[in-house]
Amino acid sequence: MNTEDFAEDFAADAALFARMRGMWEKVDPMPADLVDRMVAAVAVEDLSREYALLTLVEGSLAPVRGETDTATLQFSDGTTNVLLHVTATEDGGRRVDGWVDASALAIRLTQGDRTWTAEAGEHGRFAFDSVTPGVSRLRLVVRGDDGEMNDFQTPQFEV
Amino acid sequence: MLAQMYHERSIALWHSVDRMGAMTTADAEASVDSPEPTRWERAAELFLRWREGESRAMDELVRLMSPTLWHVVRAYGLDAALAEDVVQTTWLTLVRRHESILEPKAVSGWLTMCARREAWRVGKAHRRADATETESLEPHLPVRESAEQTAATDDESRRLWQYVSRLDDRCQRLLRVVAFDERPDYARIAQDLAMPVGSIGPTRQRCLGKLRTLLQSDGWEGDRNEH
Repeated sequence: MNTEDFAEDFAADAALFARMRGMWEKVDPMPADLVDRMVAAVAVEDLSREYALLTLVEGSLAPVRGETDTATLQFSDGTTNVLLHVTATEDGGRRVDGWVDASALAIRLTQGDRTWTAEAGEHGRFAFDSVTPGVSRLRLVVRGDDGEMNDFQTPQFEV
Repeated sequence: MLAQMYHERSIALWHSVDRMGAMTTADAEASVDSPEPTRWERAAELFLRWREGESRAMDELVRLMSPTLWHVVRAYGLDAALAEDVVQTTWLTLVRRHESILEPKAVSGWLTMCARREAWRVGKAHRRADATETESLEPHLPVRESAEQTAATDDESRRLWQYVSRLDDRCQRLLRVVAFDERPDYARIAQDLAMPVGSIGPTRQRCLGKLRTLLQSDGWEGDRNEH
């Protein structure tokens, strides 16, 4: 096979692969919101990232004492508000119910190296069913009304 | 001049199929068609910027490479939810293990390889779990459902899909991975598809050949004179 044939075959293959790429993009497109979910999932995982700090506006950073005790914490940066309700579970763990008044794409609770991930549900509700008691921090990525994605984290608090 | 360039690339492609970094059609096309950096070059640049402390560069890298990862993962026949899990696992693995990437320029290939590995692992586990139900059924690619569900797909894509979907699963998978992965690691693809490494080039040619035969038998205009 001479050089021209090689070149022609190679160009023809490249053209056919390009058509196939276009075809798969049409017949099996990536879900439209997948990229945003991926950006958010990576953002809460990336510890090198600088998060805007939400501050405690209401509640106490002290831990829940026992099964009958509950704690409610509210964090805000003036625009985005996060409400956390901490209860003790029967097995001595903690349940954290939360609510955020923005469209959350990823929510994570961290205690040192340990992390728990929650899915944002209807109306900004989310929950961590069973978390060990300890000093915690919440990180979240939300989409504001302007469509921009923002990263937040809370100060440390005890659950 | 162009012919010479193609020639060298063709040789590089066909003679180094077992190495990372073999030139592929996507590379050649991108560099021939436009002076813009190829996707893997942009990925490398964003990855370096992120490593140097520019945290938002990661967002751009995720936006740049997720579509590729989606198509590579879907080639393995995972449903949409599993495919999304695999894409996410791939990204989280990058964040956790980026220090193990000694050659930042290879980040694009690293990502697609990680995605293929994970897709293969998840697909295998899933098939095993479903073995009793699906054993007697024809191997099933979710992409078929999507194709049928997509009424608004433009005509050329729909026509081309009619032919591609007649190829066996292995050919469909191989062609899709190669189409989207700029720098395929052929040794790994061969292992995943249970083909000997030496046969991956010929297999690719065989799959392309079958597709061409189908297209030509239906009077589809040759694709030689485009680009």
